[in-house]
Amino acid sequence: MLNIKNIEVSYLNVVKVLHGISISVDDGSVVALLGANGAGKTTVLKAISGLLRIEEGEINDGTIEWNGERIDKKSAVEIGKLGLVQALEGRRVFGHLSAEENLRVGAFSRANNKEVKAELSMVYNYFPRLEKLKNNIAGYLSGGEQQMLVIGRAMMASPKLMMLDEPSLGLAPMVVQQIYEIIRRFNMDRRTSILLVEQNVRVALDTAHYGYVMENGRVVLDGSADYLKGREDVKEFYMGISASGAKKSYKDIKHYKRRKRWL
Amino acid sequence: MELLIQNIVTGLTTGMIYALIALGFALIWKSSGVANLALGQLVLISSWFTYGMLVQLKIPFLIGMLLTIVFAILLGWLIERLALRPLIGQPILSLIAVTLGLAYFLEGLTAFIWPQGQGYLPKAFPQDPIQIGTATVQQELLWGAVISLVLFILLSLFFKYHKMGIAMRATADDQLAIQACAVPVNRIFSMSWIFACIVAAIGGILISSIAAINYGLVETGFKSFSVVILGGMESFLGCIIAGPLIGICETFGGSLFGSSVKELIPFLIIIIVIMFKPFGLFGEERIERI
Repeated sequence: MLNIKNIEVSYLNVVKVLHGISISVDDGSVVALLGANGAGKTTVLKAISGLLRIEEGEINDGTIEWNGERIDKKSAVEIGKLGLVQALEGRRVFGHLSAEENLRVGAFSRANNKEVKAELSMVYNYFPRLEKLKNNIAGYLSGGEQQMLVIGRAMMASPKLMMLDEPSLGLAPMVVQQIYEIIRRFNMDRRTSILLVEQNVRVALDTAHYGYVMENGRVVLDGSADYLKGREDVKEFYMGISASGAKKSYKDIKHYKRRKRWL
Repeated sequence: MELLIQNIVTGLTTGMIYALIALGFALIWKSSGVANLALGQLVLISSWFTYGMLVQLKIPFLIGMLLTIVFAILLGWLIERLALRPLIGQPILSLIAVTLGLAYFLEGLTAFIWPQGQGYLPKAFPQDPIQIGTATVQQELLWGAVISLVLFILLSLFFKYHKMGIAMRATADDQLAIQACAVPVNRIFSMSWIFACIVAAIGGILISSIAAINYGLVETGFKSFSVVILGGMESFLGCIIAGPLIGICETFGGSLFGSSVKELIPFLIIIIVIMFKPFGLFGEERIERI
């Protein structure tokens, strides 16, 4: 179980991006972090995975605990070995490596070859498409295939908590559905906790059990996925559905009213 | 006809050794994107170290070789630790400038420890020339070429199949994503420097046991730059093909126009290649999906 208590994060000791965030992820659950651009969602993931420090960011206050153990002072490698694995935003595959080599890198901290083979066939089981493409150069795969590869690479580490940063970014709705279907299956089969950062609120709340809405570095709303889906303001501002249930046409509202302020 | 074959074989074999040293450049470039300008000086210092072991301290040949390899490993580790690691995250130009500083430092250090300027290693290989058809070739050159080829194959296999090798290539592509995969990048960088120093040391020993140890070894390092540029900066295959090619051009240039032109040819090739094929023969093109 992941427990984040009141963390504050700043970059370069100047730019404060998180102002006291508390989030928890129960074992085996899917949790979504929602919010507009710049809300600090990605920073939360990087704070957990330890990648923050590489980018000159620092946790100034608060704690991050994984199964009761504090991990906010650990390095990215140590955290990765604990089983907390982040799949970065923007389909960051290793462009000059083949698809299978990409996956193998994901299993870097596994000790023996046998385990790696087992993980490989597990990933190919979830993404049959990747098996067909395994000798292709990753840089030339399509966007959807690259996203599958990035998720598959995170799966290779057989994570206990998998953090996915905008898996739907720039993909066709069909592909988004496919990928989320696989994420759901992976979560159910292996009881892997998943922390999801997503702009596509609808698909995220269909998958997640619990959600947090973030704005300007704060959590402004949280609750079960069903609760969030039922909230009028979430519907209106993130799904574009008005109170009456019809698709809202922004043409009809005055401009100054359009921006939602939570606080 | 004899001259032709002789030139080809000599060029081919010396070129193989250039290729081996060039691998040292490609290794570091491939994993960290740093151009190692201290290549020739690494060759120089490890050759002098071998000299110190074998000639000055009179250590038996095999133990001396082993000590040289250990020296190369330590050197690579130290360089990465002290000169490059503090600069991780800085603009790539500062890292390259550091290798330039390192080049002059190592050069000064060797001049300080071994002021004699010229030294000879005991001959490692049989001296009798070999007849190939009608041409006579120095046997030691062939040995050098075979050793280079074997090392080349071993390293290529390592990069293709070993998880560390794959991770080293991945690091070149995306340094943040590799850390998200729990791969310690520091170790990757220090591995690549260690490997580079080892191949530089072996290349240095091969060349200096055939010829002599002197400042010319630094120029050999520069010639290896022309190998990587012709072959493509990150391509191992490029190195092993471009090396012999440059070797052959060099020997032919030498026998046609005299030895002063010989030294010029690799650098002439650099200029021509950069004009017409900036990624080299086998260089990775930037993959950009639009």
